[in-house]
Amino acid sequence: MDLFIFFSEILGRKVIDQDNVCIGTLSDIGMNLGKDVYPKSTYLVVKRGFWGKRFAQVSWDKVKELNKVIKISGDISEIQYQKQRPVYELTLCLDVLDQQVVDMDDQKVVRVNDVSFLKVDNYLYMAHVDVGTRGLVRRLGWSQTIDGMVKAFFPKSEYLTKEDFIPWKNTQVLTLGRTKNVLRLNIAKQKLSQIPSAELAEIMEDLDIFEKYSLFKSLESSVQLKVFSDLSTPEQEEIVDQMSDQEAGKLLENIPSDDAVDLLLNLPKEKISTLMRVMGTKKSKKLRELLDFERDSAGGLMTTEYLFLPKNALVKDAMKKIQDNVESSANIYHIYIIDDQHKLLGTTSLRNFINEDSWTPILDTCYPKKVFVRTDDGMEEIALLLEKYKFSVVPVLDEQDILKGVITIDDVLEELISIAWGKYKEKL
Amino acid sequence: MQFVEKIKNLKFVRNFLLFLAIMGPGIITSNVDNDAGGIATYSLAGAHFGYTLLWSLIPITLALIVIQEMCARMAVATGKGLADLIRENFGVKITFHLMWILLVVNLLNVMAEFAGVAASLEIFNINKFFTVPLAALFVWTLVVKGTYKTVEKIFLTACLFYVTYIFSGFIAKPEWTEVFRQTIRPEITFDLKYSVMLVGIIGTTIAPWMQFYLQSSIVDKGISIEQYKHVRMDVVGGSILAPIVAFFIVVACAATLFKAGITIESAKDAAVALEPLAGKYAKILFSFGLFNASIFAASVLPLSTAYCICEGMGWNAGVDKRFEEAPEFFGLYTALIAIGAGVVLIPNFPLLKIMYFSQVGNGILLPFILIFMLILINDKSLMGEFTNNRVLNIFTWLTVIVIIALTLLMVGFSVFCPNQFI
Repeated sequence: MDLFIFFSEILGRKVIDQDNVCIGTLSDIGMNLGKDVYPKSTYLVVKRGFWGKRFAQVSWDKVKELNKVIKISGDISEIQYQKQRPVYELTLCLDVLDQQVVDMDDQKVVRVNDVSFLKVDNYLYMAHVDVGTRGLVRRLGWSQTIDGMVKAFFPKSEYLTKEDFIPWKNTQVLTLGRTKNVLRLNIAKQKLSQIPSAELAEIMEDLDIFEKYSLFKSLESSVQLKVFSDLSTPEQEEIVDQMSDQEAGKLLENIPSDDAVDLLLNLPKEKISTLMRVMGTKKSKKLRELLDFERDSAGGLMTTEYLFLPKNALVKDAMKKIQDNVESSANIYHIYIIDDQHKLLGTTSLRNFINEDSWTPILDTCYPKKVFVRTDDGMEEIALLLEKYKFSVVPVLDEQDILKGVITIDDVLEELISIAWGKYKEKL
Repeated sequence: MQFVEKIKNLKFVRNFLLFLAIMGPGIITSNVDNDAGGIATYSLAGAHFGYTLLWSLIPITLALIVIQEMCARMAVATGKGLADLIRENFGVKITFHLMWILLVVNLLNVMAEFAGVAASLEIFNINKFFTVPLAALFVWTLVVKGTYKTVEKIFLTACLFYVTYIFSGFIAKPEWTEVFRQTIRPEITFDLKYSVMLVGIIGTTIAPWMQFYLQSSIVDKGISIEQYKHVRMDVVGGSILAPIVAFFIVVACAATLFKAGITIESAKDAAVALEPLAGKYAKILFSFGLFNASIFAASVLPLSTAYCICEGMGWNAGVDKRFEEAPEFFGLYTALIAIGAGVVLIPNFPLLKIMYFSQVGNGILLPFILIFMLILINDKSLMGEFTNNRVLNIFTWLTVIVIIALTLLMVGFSVFCPNQFI
């Protein structure tokens, strides 16, 4: 007996009860996701009749034999037929077979032609999805004919040996359309949460906008934020375009403000003001301010998310501040000390105070020299400054020395790379 | 500047600008529908039956609107092409058979388009061994080297050239009172020839490939649900424009050829026969229109066919991919053009028969596709709140049943009395 079995081979097989009375044919399999890597078959869906189709669900525990026919324990009288087709956590024909899935390894979208199961004690475990031509031919029921023909004419053909399988654990079912279907979201969330956000963003690059959006929507909101920040600005725009204003506003509220500004700059004025309206007032005020700065000046590059403390704070306050902000997307290794008017007094970093006594005033741990840039400083000045002091982050002050925000090295790098890339392209 | 801003912010202007951005798929699809075969059919209708068939364009317009709107709605609501939806909901077997029939039928259609290119330029004494390979090369490079946006712009420009038929309609100097009388209060006769022509007009106006093309191109444009009303305007606009062009073709031929009692066999005959009756310009406009229509359709058809077959079979597709990434797609696309254009160059190739078979093929395929569409669009789990409502459902089922009956009639006609047919 084979260890592996194809869905197309058992689909449509006769199902009989203990007295060999025909119950119907196998029309679908319901699976439980559970904690295992491979989902396990939990229900048979049996179909009877052609015009007045009736469906019945049978627990997989009753399966006694799984061969040319499927034999179950119990009697036909125990089976209840209904008009409605049953739906499960994972219903193979509805959710997997013939649907599009994302192949996480090769990062492309493919269509499932067949499913291959691992068969253990009459239970089926979903091991692979088949996306190759052989699967297609098998589904059409032409395996023997085509195999025979290929063998006769091209005995060395790749077709005979090459299987296009994707392991189920590397497969992501795309949530269909916009109106369907909450169940799939759960599958998606579990599996997607294990993939680093930068990789998810890369996968999304290769999808078209609908696929992109449905994949995006199936992410948990915290993962959504991370992935969104990793997307390129045009892609972010596409996503925001598909969202309702409420959703978009909420998203903008939660991503770092420099990313939000980049995105907003590319939107039509009208859309900006609608989005501002649905956002919280605090955030929208901040964004409005940032929007007024030149794009590649310090003011345009900076983010307004940073940690700060009043001048009389102690080292223990600083530690607490960092602990409270572990979850945030901001740079948490630097803390800025400000006076009552929000003027910058000094900068300190975790490295400076981690070994200090918790009652030491935080001002004592600051860097001796105040390094900063002004809001209207250009990109080059910022880049040179960061390089000179080997800083990864620098505060931005306005004319009155008031702290407006900070620039992190990755914001500068991003701009520089796009400039360098442009120059490189010109050369070509 | 402030003034310009103010105008831009007017609701009407804003809506119009949005519409311009979204416009394209509907108008292009409907216009491609007036392809070489379509123009031939309308010319014949005008030349042999005068104005008496004009009335049929009104119900055709309504049917076009109803069917195309469903495609557009499915595209926006599901974000998937028609072939995708059929595969996902009806399984691989049905899809496979549908796809190979579609491939054959569309290949015949592509042949007809290249034949149209050859015929239209032969009127100007340009040899087809020169024009057809050039046209094939042009079509191939246009799509493979172009981006969606530039291709769409070229297509929209091609739509503009259909105006030539409106001009030829006016140049032919028809009796407008008669034209309107026949449109609104037609004198319908029901002899065999008339019925065959009537069915032919309907068959050529609503073709299976259109549904696939329209839905995919709306999906490709990434149009969101909020923009749906603009899509609908685009689709309805296109569905009205195309029959208007057809109207003027019929009028041009009726006012000249029918009056003079000339019988013709093809659109090329019509163009040539126009010269002594309506002047040189009428001929030039008419044949240029035919050229434009043929090459336009020859660009759209192979692409749309390759796309939807790859969609249905789950192969990679897209003009922005490399050959190794999507070998099936580029293979199909290139083969369709190469065979379609190559066949036209074979001496004594029975082109009229090809055109006729392509019509029959369209007719056989259409009922299946329309029924699939109706099942899909009423699927709540797929369409959500975008399913048909009851009134619309009754209307669409009626439309679909009438179209199916008529196309079956056409298939019947063409099988049992092929001589009556073109």
